[in-house]
Amino acid sequence: MLRFVASRIARAALTISMVVTFAFIVLRMSGDPAQIIMGADAPPEAVDAFRTAWGLDEPIWVQYLSYFWAILQGDLGRSMRDGRDAIVLVTERIPATLALTLPALAIKIGLGIPAGIYAALHRNSLADRIVMVVAVAGFTVPSFVLGLLLVLLFAVQLGWLPSGGQESWRHAILPVVTLGLGGAAVLARFTRSAMLEVLGQPFIRTASAKGVPWRAVVVGHALPNAAIPTVTIIGFMVGSLIAGAVVVESVFSWPGVGRLLVVAVGNRDLAVVQCVLLLVAVTMVCSNLIVDLLYGLLDPRLRGAARKAA
Amino acid sequence: MHRRQLLAAPALAVLARPAVAQADQRPVVTIAVQKLSNSNTFEPPREQSNVGFRLHGLYAEQLVGTDWLRDARLVPGLATAWRRPDAATLELTLRQGVRFHDGREMTAEDVAFSFGERLFGTRGASGAGTSTVLAGTNSKEPPAEVIAVGRRTYPGLDRIEIVDRYTVRFVNRTPDVTLEGRVAQSVGAILSREAFAAAENWLAWGRIPVGTGPYRIAEFRPDTMLVMEAHDAYWGGRPPARRLRFVEVPEVSARVNGLFSGEYDFACDIPPDQITVVERNSRFEVLGSPINNIRKFSFDKTHPVLADARIRRAMSHAIDRRMLVETLWAGRTVIPRGMQLESYGAMYLADWENPRFDPAEARRLLREANYRGEPIPYRLLNNYYTSQVANAQIAVEMWRAVGLNVQIEMRENFTQVTARTPGRGVRDWSNTSIFGDPVAGILRALGPRTEAERNAEWTNPEFDRVATALEAETDMERRRAQFRRILEIAEREDPCYIVLHQAAAFTAKRRDIAWRAANGWAMNFGPGNLRVGA
Repeated sequence: MLRFVASRIARAALTISMVVTFAFIVLRMSGDPAQIIMGADAPPEAVDAFRTAWGLDEPIWVQYLSYFWAILQGDLGRSMRDGRDAIVLVTERIPATLALTLPALAIKIGLGIPAGIYAALHRNSLADRIVMVVAVAGFTVPSFVLGLLLVLLFAVQLGWLPSGGQESWRHAILPVVTLGLGGAAVLARFTRSAMLEVLGQPFIRTASAKGVPWRAVVVGHALPNAAIPTVTIIGFMVGSLIAGAVVVESVFSWPGVGRLLVVAVGNRDLAVVQCVLLLVAVTMVCSNLIVDLLYGLLDPRLRGAARKAA
Repeated sequence: MHRRQLLAAPALAVLARPAVAQADQRPVVTIAVQKLSNSNTFEPPREQSNVGFRLHGLYAEQLVGTDWLRDARLVPGLATAWRRPDAATLELTLRQGVRFHDGREMTAEDVAFSFGERLFGTRGASGAGTSTVLAGTNSKEPPAEVIAVGRRTYPGLDRIEIVDRYTVRFVNRTPDVTLEGRVAQSVGAILSREAFAAAENWLAWGRIPVGTGPYRIAEFRPDTMLVMEAHDAYWGGRPPARRLRFVEVPEVSARVNGLFSGEYDFACDIPPDQITVVERNSRFEVLGSPINNIRKFSFDKTHPVLADARIRRAMSHAIDRRMLVETLWAGRTVIPRGMQLESYGAMYLADWENPRFDPAEARRLLREANYRGEPIPYRLLNNYYTSQVANAQIAVEMWRAVGLNVQIEMRENFTQVTARTPGRGVRDWSNTSIFGDPVAGILRALGPRTEAERNAEWTNPEFDRVATALEAETDMERRRAQFRRILEIAEREDPCYIVLHQAAAFTAKRRDIAWRAANGWAMNFGPGNLRVGA
C-alpha cells in the first residue's frame, strides 16, 4: 500500500513539475510581460526599468532555475501587476470561485444522476427522449451562450435577478445555474449510458429471475455497477472546482480564480498564472487519487485484484 | 448615563436615521467599465492608459487643467495663474483654500513633493534612478517604471522652487515652450505629502492616493469594484453624486444587459456596432465623440518590399478613410488632417492634407516601383483597438483592389506584433496627444528614443534632426515650419504610417441622466456635469 501511495505521489509530483515547466516556457515565449503590463503607450524607458526590476532581462534558463528553486522553498513569487504574493492573490479568490462551483456541483449531481437513471429505467419512453434532448442541448450549448440567454431572460426581460457582479447571494444564482445545467446534462448522459449497459448484463436478469424486487435489483445491483464511470466524471468535476468556471466568471463579472487567471494570462503575470496552474494541477491530481480509491470501494473485483497483486 | 437616557437611546437612533438619509439626497451612480485598473493602483504615472485616464480627474488634479468637455484647451486648475519669467521657467500661483481628501490644505510643499519624492524617489529628478524595488511593496521608493515615466514626462526638469506658500517655480534645464502642457498631464497630479508620509508603503499609498478631486477613493476591490465618495470640501463646488460605484464588467454584452436591467446607470467602452443596439431602447442613449487619439497603420520600412517608399505611398493612396469611418464608426468620428489635432492651437496646421484616396495613383506608383505582388505581412491583434479586425479586413481588400498583396497574420499581443523577426510589415498603432502640441503627439512615437526607433521599424535622419530642434525651439513660427517638415517626411516623402481617423469613446447611459461626455478618455462627474432625473 505504501509503495502504491508513494508511486502515486511521485507521479503527481512529476505531473505538477511538467505543468509548471510547460507554463513557464509557453508564457515567456509568447509575450513580454513588461510590454504587456506597462501598456502599448508606455515609454521605452519605463518598460526597460520594469524588465530590469523583475529580472526579465536575464536568460530564460536563469529565470527558470530561480523560479523552480523558489518553488521548492515554498515561494510562488509575486504578482508583477501589483507586487503582492501570488499565493495570497490566488487564495483570496478561491472562496468566490467555490461559492459558484460547489453549488453548481450539487446541481450537477442532484439533477444529472437522477435524470440519467430515470431515462435509463424508462428507455425509449417519451420521458427518456425529453431528458436526452434537454441533456444534448445542455452540453452542446456553450456556457457563455447559456449564461447570456439566462441574463436576457431573468435580468433584462423579467428583472428578477442581477446580470452580474458579486454583491449578494442573488448575484450567484445565474452563474451557478449556468454552470450546473451544463454539468448536469453531461452527468445525465453518462449515467444513462452506464445504467443501460449494466441493465443489459446477465446478473441483472438473474437477479430478476430469482424474484428479487425490481427496486432492489436497481438499487442493490445496477446502481453500484453503473457508478464507476459516473464517479470518474464527478472526479473530473471536483478537479475543476478551482478553475472550472473561467468563462462563466467572465460572463457574470464574478471575481474568482477563473477571472484572475484570464487577467493574469492576458497580462503575462507569470507568478500568478503559474500559481493558479499549480493549484489546479494539485487539485486534479488529488481528485484523481480519491477517484482511484473510490473505485476500490465501489467494485469488489478491484479490491480483490489489489489484494492478489499485494 | 441615566436610565431614561438609556431607554430613549434606541428610539433616538431610529428617529435619527431618516434625518441622516435626508441630509444627503444626492444619487449613487453606478458605472460599468471594461477594466478598472491595469496595475491595481491609481497612481497616475503607473496607470498611463485609457483605463487610468478615465478616472484620474475624479480624484486627482493638476496645477494646469484641461477642459475636456470643450476643446481640450488648458485652463486654470490647482493654479489660478502662471507666467514665464524666462523660456526655461514657469511660475505658478496656487489656488488658495484647496483641500485634500484628508482635510489638509494644499500648499507649495505638496507641489514640491508631487514633482519630487513622489515621482522620482529620494534621488530626485536628476538622481541616478537605481531603484530595484518591486512595485513598491517594501518601501516608499516608487517603482522604477514610475520614475521612468516621470523622467519621460519632464525630461528637462531641474528643480521645483518654493517661492512662498502659494507660489512655485518649475525650473527647466533647457527652454521648453510646452511646460504648461507637461504640467497639465495626469502624471503631474498634486497629491498629499502627509498622506504619503502616513502610508505603510508605496503600494498601499498608490492604491488610495489622496488628491484634491471632487471624489475620494473609498474602496477598491481589484478586478471587481471601485467606490468613490463625494469630497464635499471640493474647491469647485459640491459634487453632484454622493457616491460613484465603478464595477468591472469585461464583456460588452454584460455591460449592455446590466444597463438595460437597471443595475448600471452608465456603461463605458461601447463599440460602435452596439450603438444602435442600445439606442433601439428609448430609455437609453450613447454619448461620445472623437478623442485625442489617432488610429493609424504603421510601416516597418526595413521589410524588403516596404523599403521602397513608393509602395508605402501606394498603400496610403489606396485607403478610403471616409468609408472606414462611415461603415465601422457609424460616421461618429472624424479624419484628422495628418497626425495632429485641432487642440494644438497655434501649432495646428489647418491647411495640411492627408494623402488623398486615389486608386489610380496607387496603381501608378506600384508600376513605377515594379511591384509584382510580393506578399506584405500584416500582424494583427484581435480587436485590441475598436473594430480592429474588421478595419484590417476592409483595408486588405482596398489594397487588393489596387494590386497589393497584404496578408493578415493574427498575433496575441504587442510583443509578438513588434517582434524584430522576418515577416514584420504593417501593423496597427495609435497615437495619443497627451497635450496640445506635436511634442506630446507624433514625437512621443517617432524620432530619437521612441518606440519606432527602438523597434527599428522606421528611422529617418532628417526627421530626427528636425524633431530634436522642434523640442527645444521657442519661436512659434519656426516651430510650425519644423512641424510641417516633420509631417512632410513622415506622411509623404518617407511614409511611416497611414493616418486613419481619430478614435472615439462611447458611453451608454440612461436618458434621464443629464451628463456630457468628454472629448477625451476622461469621465467628468464633477459639479455641473451630472443631474439624475433630467
